[in-house]
Amino acid sequence: MSTINWLFEINFAIFSVFVALFLTELMGGVLLLLAYERTKVKVLPYIVPIWEVTGTFAAFWVVTADFAYPGMLIPVASLFAGLIAVFLILFVARNASISFAELISKRGWVDERKLYQAYGLATILIGVVVLIVLSAIVSGAGVNLSVSPPTFSLGGWVTSSGSLLYVIGVVVIGVGLAPVFYDVAPLRRLSLFLTVVGVGIEAGALYLYSSGFLSAYFLVPALLTILASLLYQNRSTAPIVSHKLVFALVATIIIFSTSYLVYPTAFNGGIGVDSVTTSGPMVGAFYVLSVAGAVFVGLLMALYLTAVHRAARAPGSPASSAGSATPNSPQT
Amino acid sequence: MSIPMVDYDRFLFAFTIGSHILLVSLSIGLAIMICAVEFLSARSKDKYYGALARRLVRPFVVSFGIGTASGIVMAVELVNLFPGFMTLVSKTGVISIFYVEIFAFFLETVFLVVYVYYGKLFHGRYTRWLLTVPIVVGTLLSAVLIVMVNAWMNTPNGFDIATFIASGNTTVTGVDPWAPFLTPSTGYEVFHVLATVPLTGIMMIGGFFAYRYHKSSNPDERTLFVKGLRITVALSLVLVVLSVLSGILQIENLYRFQPLKYAAMELNVNPGTNLPENLFGWLNGTTVVGAIQVPGLQGMLSNHANVPGLSQYPSSDWPPLIIHDTFDTMVLLGVLLGLFLFVYAGLWVLKRRPFDSRLLAWGFVAFTVITTVVMELGWMTDELGRQPWIVYNVMTVSQAANYNSDLFYPGLVIIAAYLFLVPFTFWFMARVFRSKSIEVDLAGPAEGTDVNY
Repeated sequence: MSTINWLFEINFAIFSVFVALFLTELMGGVLLLLAYERTKVKVLPYIVPIWEVTGTFAAFWVVTADFAYPGMLIPVASLFAGLIAVFLILFVARNASISFAELISKRGWVDERKLYQAYGLATILIGVVVLIVLSAIVSGAGVNLSVSPPTFSLGGWVTSSGSLLYVIGVVVIGVGLAPVFYDVAPLRRLSLFLTVVGVGIEAGALYLYSSGFLSAYFLVPALLTILASLLYQNRSTAPIVSHKLVFALVATIIIFSTSYLVYPTAFNGGIGVDSVTTSGPMVGAFYVLSVAGAVFVGLLMALYLTAVHRAARAPGSPASSAGSATPNSPQT
Repeated sequence: MSIPMVDYDRFLFAFTIGSHILLVSLSIGLAIMICAVEFLSARSKDKYYGALARRLVRPFVVSFGIGTASGIVMAVELVNLFPGFMTLVSKTGVISIFYVEIFAFFLETVFLVVYVYYGKLFHGRYTRWLLTVPIVVGTLLSAVLIVMVNAWMNTPNGFDIATFIASGNTTVTGVDPWAPFLTPSTGYEVFHVLATVPLTGIMMIGGFFAYRYHKSSNPDERTLFVKGLRITVALSLVLVVLSVLSGILQIENLYRFQPLKYAAMELNVNPGTNLPENLFGWLNGTTVVGAIQVPGLQGMLSNHANVPGLSQYPSSDWPPLIIHDTFDTMVLLGVLLGLFLFVYAGLWVLKRRPFDSRLLAWGFVAFTVITTVVMELGWMTDELGRQPWIVYNVMTVSQAANYNSDLFYPGLVIIAAYLFLVPFTFWFMARVFRSKSIEVDLAGPAEGTDVNY
């Protein structure tokens, strides 16, 4: 009987929260780029405070991954050194542009709009880099593990069947779910269409990688994703699914349910996860710190959500949908 | 000519962390100042403190955003540039320190977000002050935990080192997941960093206040800067004293646990008794030349008559001897900084209004730069002094480095980005500090900040 690798599960759960938060930013970034004036009232009050929390979850995941998989650090550094460096450049650009956008006053041709759109672009590009790395970890596309040190070829990844579809599928799903999360009613029908098409493309990409990826496990994330968009079509259920917290929870569950793509083996069977997971006394330390940390972070997030909730209920709040985060309005 | 990747990795990380600590020290300084000002505002109901808090929050938001990015760059670079090192870290209790660091980061982030973006919801001046306390605790705790990692790199523990070395850096046994939290040098290093890093950040703010006081013709704004300056001078004075005390203890730490680094910093060729203190100078063969030698001073500072010398160790293990000069320059500039602060504060106590003097204002600005240089020199002395080791006497940088040349061009872009971003960030912070008129800041609500959306 196989046992559960709790280190993997905990790390993947943290990864899921991070990606769910990042996806909500990514969707906002798309809207800011495509329809800044029409969507900023919905998007900015959410993104402005949350981007700092997302960054913290990113660091959280990086550290827990370092902790859980010491056997993977040298291979990962060998494989993705260049892409990781590009990710870092984009991450700095993301934080810099939104930090400056929050406080800039009009000066020359740079204004808050351009900076928020630069943030949106940087966030989308980060998403692309992350997707390339993730798809390579899932499929092994472009990866050569038989040499020492192992290598990754971007050309090999691009020409591998399924890789580009994988990225396109996720982007289409993201664009499709953006109107749900940000409650942009005029895009309701388009949302459902794009979400279904995106899931279809993703299924095709996974099939091209390996028919084994299209198992019954795939139904969970696929159906939940479509269900989120379906519920948004109905006026009575739309407020529920577009509630920020509910959506983030559903997105986390969807991402968590894709863990079968990298466990028990990553790189399409190339590396057994259990073989690179930490062992000995460090396992106990991981559990102790994870439990204590979960309680601590849970309390902090409760404080944060309480503030968000109170802000949404405060007199004069422009929050138009339940759960909208509405920080202090500008004071002039 | 090609640069060996190990040297490139070393330079890239040194450049990144050298830039990062500039932002972090200012972030810590701003967090402490905001907390102090909110407390004074709550206690005195002085509208100038309220205005000062509102003004300080704006650059703090910027420094947090950029500092977070550069912090994550460092965390990921550690894996990307030194995967061998991070593998050892991940197999030992050092990774536990990084894990706890994340919770300190969460503490800082969530309270910052609540204080800045949702501050309106919390009524009562003392409540607002209380929101700033966890921000200070979080920022300082982050610094403390990172220094714990550094202390472990200098005095490693928590695993069977002999077995690890004998196995060719492959077998990690005898792991104690909690031991790295308290290495022999942890207390010394934490004390020193808790004094010097906030000092640097607060001096940056003080230098800015001193400069802006003379640039402004608005009486309200000048009053605000004087009140801010009073806090920065008082805090700096306390911190400079603590820096000296902790610095002396650091020498004791090196004497006991890193005698080779001690010998290099003091430029002691041979071990001996009652050796003179070599001020500057360099090594020519086996002879110290160009140094000012002060008899008896070394023994007094180290509190030991017998001190180690370089000749006790193979020259292949010697660190770059430039650390002798970085150390001496750091101490010299640090002493001058202390004297300046005592004179400045003394004049203030004597009601001589030092802030009115243009000369002293420019002196303050100059010493702001000097404090920053002192901090960077201190960090260089520590890190260069451990070379060629990344983990002292356990793993060399060469054994830890990533030799993948894919890093080269993205690394250059990171360097170029930092060369633009760090100065721009400081300029932008200075600008947003005054983005509202003093009248607006004095009259404005005590909560929140001015965020565009």
